[in-house]
Amino acid sequence: MNSKVKLIISGSLASCLVLAMAGCGGSTKADDKVIQFWDPYPQYSDGDAWDTYVKSCAPEGYTIKRQGMPQNDVLNNLTTSVKEDNAPDVVLLDNPFMPTAVDAGLITDIKAAGVDTSGFDENIEGPGIVDGVQYGLAFGSNALGLYYNPQILEKAGVDPSSITDWDSLNTAIKQVVDSGAKGITFSGITGEEGVFQFLPWFWGAGAKLDKPDSQSAQEAQQLVSNWVKQGWAPKSVATDNQSAAWDLFLTGEYGFAENGSWQAASAKEKGYKVIPIPAKNGGVAPVPTGGELATLPLHKTKQETKVKAAAQVITCMTSDKNLAKTNETLGYLAAKKSIRDSQAKDNEQWMPWIDSVESAQGRTTDVGLEYEQISATLSKNLQTALNS
Amino acid sequence: MKSIAQHTQQSTVARKKTIAALGFIAPLIIYFIAFYVAPLIQNISMSLHHFTRKSFVTGEAPFVGFDIYKELLSNTEFWITLRQTLLFVVLSIIFQYSIGLLLAVFFNQNFKLSNFLRGLFLVPWLLPPMISGTTWQWIMDADNGILNKLIVALGGNPIWWLQSSHSIWAVIIANIWLGIPFNLVILYSGLQNINNDLYEAASLDGCGPWKRFWNITFPLLKPVTLICLLLGFVYTLKTVDIIWIMTQGSGTSQTLATWSYAMAFGKGHSSTIQYSQASAVGTILILIALVFACVYLWAQRQEEQ
Amino acid sequence: MRHRSSWYKTVIACVITAIMLFPVYWMINISFTQRRSIRSGSIIPVDFTVEHYEEVLSDQLPYLGTSLVIAISCVLVTLLIALPASYAIGILNIGGVRSVNFILVLAQMIPAVVMALGFYQIFNKLGMLDTLRGLILADSTIAVPFAVMLLTSYMVSMPKSLIEAAAIDGASHWSIFTKIVIPLSRNSIVTTALFAFLWAWSDFMFASTLDSGGGKLRPITMGIYDYIGAQNQEWGPMMATAVVASIPTAVLLIVAQKYVAAGVTAGAIKD
Repeated sequence: MNSKVKLIISGSLASCLVLAMAGCGGSTKADDKVIQFWDPYPQYSDGDAWDTYVKSCAPEGYTIKRQGMPQNDVLNNLTTSVKEDNAPDVVLLDNPFMPTAVDAGLITDIKAAGVDTSGFDENIEGPGIVDGVQYGLAFGSNALGLYYNPQILEKAGVDPSSITDWDSLNTAIKQVVDSGAKGITFSGITGEEGVFQFLPWFWGAGAKLDKPDSQSAQEAQQLVSNWVKQGWAPKSVATDNQSAAWDLFLTGEYGFAENGSWQAASAKEKGYKVIPIPAKNGGVAPVPTGGELATLPLHKTKQETKVKAAAQVITCMTSDKNLAKTNETLGYLAAKKSIRDSQAKDNEQWMPWIDSVESAQGRTTDVGLEYEQISATLSKNLQTALNS
Repeated sequence: MKSIAQHTQQSTVARKKTIAALGFIAPLIIYFIAFYVAPLIQNISMSLHHFTRKSFVTGEAPFVGFDIYKELLSNTEFWITLRQTLLFVVLSIIFQYSIGLLLAVFFNQNFKLSNFLRGLFLVPWLLPPMISGTTWQWIMDADNGILNKLIVALGGNPIWWLQSSHSIWAVIIANIWLGIPFNLVILYSGLQNINNDLYEAASLDGCGPWKRFWNITFPLLKPVTLICLLLGFVYTLKTVDIIWIMTQGSGTSQTLATWSYAMAFGKGHSSTIQYSQASAVGTILILIALVFACVYLWAQRQEEQ
Repeated sequence: MRHRSSWYKTVIACVITAIMLFPVYWMINISFTQRRSIRSGSIIPVDFTVEHYEEVLSDQLPYLGTSLVIAISCVLVTLLIALPASYAIGILNIGGVRSVNFILVLAQMIPAVVMALGFYQIFNKLGMLDTLRGLILADSTIAVPFAVMLLTSYMVSMPKSLIEAAAIDGASHWSIFTKIVIPLSRNSIVTTALFAFLWAWSDFMFASTLDSGGGKLRPITMGIYDYIGAQNQEWGPMMATAVVASIPTAVLLIVAQKYVAAGVTAGAIKD
């Protein structure tokens, strides 16, 4: 008998363990007074300036639980959580995802929830407005520019102010390479990140998103693929993301780097300077607006008072009083002209970026949901060009 | 001649044994149904419905039968990817296994530090794939990587490892490296179970080391080898991490697994999320594994005969 | 008898190990290099810094502890389920090894994405999202099929004479299992445990889906992810984290490896 008892015990012990692990705990429906806040900035941990600032925006009687996650995971995690009715209350969503999120019914009308959206720049807010309804509020934008290493340019005898179109850019890169340095780094990685960096050349050639295979689009591909073919750009551009491209530029061996305003502080430290990206026939090429929009996800179980509180969090972060702080903490330029100008006055590193931000275009503003497919086509074409 | 009493006794013993066996295996069965069967059914169901991000959220995806499979099989990308997958898997396994076996035999000789060094061989496994993938990407950098520097120093021409037409070789090399510890550990513990007396007897019979390997080690390792190859096949077939981090599955390095991953998450060159297509590719991967598992069963039967 | 004049083998082994561990060396190299030089490809950290380690030691230690707890618990769960099951299959001959292996192989092919989504649904209902026990349970699914296959294959080839003798003496299945089969399976148990540990240790998919809101109760693979910003990755600290995380586990592995020793099952070969 003893052995049988032991047997039963042993047999059921393990299954009990499994069941116990799976069974206990009960339901943990999100606390009514805790606002779940997701952002794509996992680099800011608990107690960092950004974290403290976000939490200080909690309305009376509420606390904020902030969670940072990699940019690429935000939309998918949001999809799963909305499906399971476990969505967060505020999400900062990367702007090209907006039409997708709206189409899938993940996010809701922020104006209806009581967020004040007046006075913000149209070009930056474009991606947040889908079919006339505003689903997200961009507090600011980052932009792409052409960084250069003044020491290398000086040695090569290149005057950065002479770079005004593609021809003069190519001449300048050639001069840099002839002087013994390396040419230019950028990111051409598969996926949206590489497309983001390609768009200034694409738009600068006069191409339009609804025709991703046009002649002008091919000219833009040739421009960047020639850099690789001539050895002016490293072969790794096809697999480098923007951070990796910046790491290469930081070696101090390259004359130029296409990169974003988020590197402005790092560039300042190293003495690198920046000019706007030139269009093919002169002038400043339009760059895509970068950065996130504050959105209010859908909850299958309605909870109106909490949505109001969540809207207050967004309003707090985007109020005239706080907007500069929100953007400075993240290294963005505000989506309101007056605030942006005051940012530039206080911090001169933003001066060269003002023009780029003001002429920037939303990726999804005109083409909406189509952008997903267009981006895939652009990425494929770009990869083919860079690998040839 | 057995008496009736003995018969009854035997059948009682047999019944007791079955009950005991059921008791011992019950936890696994519960565990299995909860964590494997349910997702498997879900995977198949997803591939028979047309899921988009929208219908995934609402849960109202239309049933489309085998349409997604038909679409997939008529897509040339599928066949190209299948070929790359097989190349990736077969080459990875051949090298992982043979290098693992060589090392296991070598480390089995109990020289000084052999245990310590063998332990070190597992260290690559401790590294998150994100780290080892990136390290390999840098080592194989076309302009500045240490591997190309070595090739040039030896008088060769630098190779653009991660270019779309070469990238499959780059990820195969990295994957072989990643798989060696697994093969080494399993084969080594298999070797430990081989009786030393057999070798000594063979030595006395005048068998050299080479002959001893082929006549004793290799045949006796067959059950372990089969397991090793089978699992190696399964793990390599579903490898995503290392490929994804090195190349995002671009060019020739796209395998069915990375393709499915790209579609399931809307990452890389699949900017649109495609749950159903991803599940269909997942199901096809399961079928491929099924075929290989049949080969395994056949080989095991041969072994037993 | 084999210890005589085998120093040259040690030398060869050192060389092979060095080649194998070269990527690991590269990681260490980067972890001591300033960001501005990580892509310059020097073989030694010329632009030396210990900053990354200072950062990691102040940020990452809690995650390291969490990872250890998860990996060890995962080993226990795996063995608790796999050992009795293997005994039933391998010794008591239920189900047949081949067909069980067949099912187990299929189980391992279920895409991790699908399993992660399945777990998410279950855990969400049970309130187990962002908990350690949820993640441990999920992580154990990586190792259980493997563990059953491996343990079964060893138990099948175990000498039956001992077991039969014990059965004739009237020993129960339980005592045969605990007193004979488990001790004889030591090699394969250690091997299985190693794998269960390593898989749980390096899991990212489950951690990111099921435990992303776990705060400090997240494993080190997620801790590393915190160095990845929206457009900016700090490879120095990431590599340093990997180094710091590898040291305790490497020691553990080397110690555990010693237990996969010869002689335990000497004479255990099926005739």
